[in-house]
Amino acid sequence: MRRCAIILITAALMPLLFAPAAQARPVSYPGGWTLMLRNDAFQNSAHVHYTLDPAHSVGLRVRYDRGEDFTFTGAQLNRLMKRWNAPDSQANLYFRLGAGQAVDNIDRDDLRVKRASDGAVFLGLSGDWETRRYFVSASAEYWDNGRFGDASNYHARLGIAPYVANTGALHSWIMVEGHHRPESDGLQSEDNLGASLILRLFKGPSLLELGVDDQGEALLNYIHRF
Amino acid sequence: MKLRSNLMIAILLAGPFALVPAAAHAKDKKMSGVQVVEIADVSVGLNGLVCDFCSIALNKTFKKRDEVRGTYVDLDTKTLSIALAAGAELSNAEIVKLVKNAGYTATKIKRKDGAEFIPPVKP
Repeated sequence: MRRCAIILITAALMPLLFAPAAQARPVSYPGGWTLMLRNDAFQNSAHVHYTLDPAHSVGLRVRYDRGEDFTFTGAQLNRLMKRWNAPDSQANLYFRLGAGQAVDNIDRDDLRVKRASDGAVFLGLSGDWETRRYFVSASAEYWDNGRFGDASNYHARLGIAPYVANTGALHSWIMVEGHHRPESDGLQSEDNLGASLILRLFKGPSLLELGVDDQGEALLNYIHRF
Repeated sequence: MKLRSNLMIAILLAGPFALVPAAAHAKDKKMSGVQVVEIADVSVGLNGLVCDFCSIALNKTFKKRDEVRGTYVDLDTKTLSIALAAGAELSNAEIVKLVKNAGYTATKIKRKDGAEFIPPVKP
């Protein structure tokens, strides 16, 4: 509980830290559907959301935690707290909140073992700033997974587009992502720090990210706007 | 092994959606593409335009309107071109509101007859 309060306070103060600073836009245009998939060494996650108005989207989130071997299924609310539109750039600050059920995986060798489950909640804050050439983002997320434990993660990204493409053309980005997962128990490194090299390919309504982290684990993210 | 299973799951999840763009565009019966620029009745200067998701948001938002025959967003010129249906009108206030709903900021509205409107900048 005390930890949750710390996170909430941190989240409230984050705008001061990341003012013009992600996660790729969890709020679209009103009436728009978006599919967001994230797959890396720590998770396989799918989020489908519907944008209610220019500042809010709601959706379903399913996330398999590869470290703790459980699956979260729940509802997620995304809020665009602030957007800065400039002639050559855009910056956004997003807040997200989710609640649902965490269920461990069936032991396939012994199906008599009862599945464990518990309520889970999470909250996160992310910000980004981008031009057609440069991209910067940062994100912080805290999960209370009940009996499966707490987890937090912090991400930061820098990206550059080797060329600037016009509407409908293939947009390419080279990105570097650093991440810190304090509760990952040395799953990836002793200090729970890691980095990934990412190639982002973006065309029309589809965005695909292919990457590899410093431990050789693959990363594959996909976003589609309907 | 972990890498391979991770990759497999991702491909299985993402694969079907690779086919969606073509299907979605096939349903869109309104005009799109650069040819809209030549017949546009209105061109709108924009702030915040940095990627194709921006152009999708603007196209989808405007094409919901019966008054709109077609749209095209040019990232290079930061312009939204709007072709109106015969006899239809779209006021400057409505255009500014629609652009805002899509998540962007209109900086200038120029009509085919040469009339220009600069939306007031809000602090």
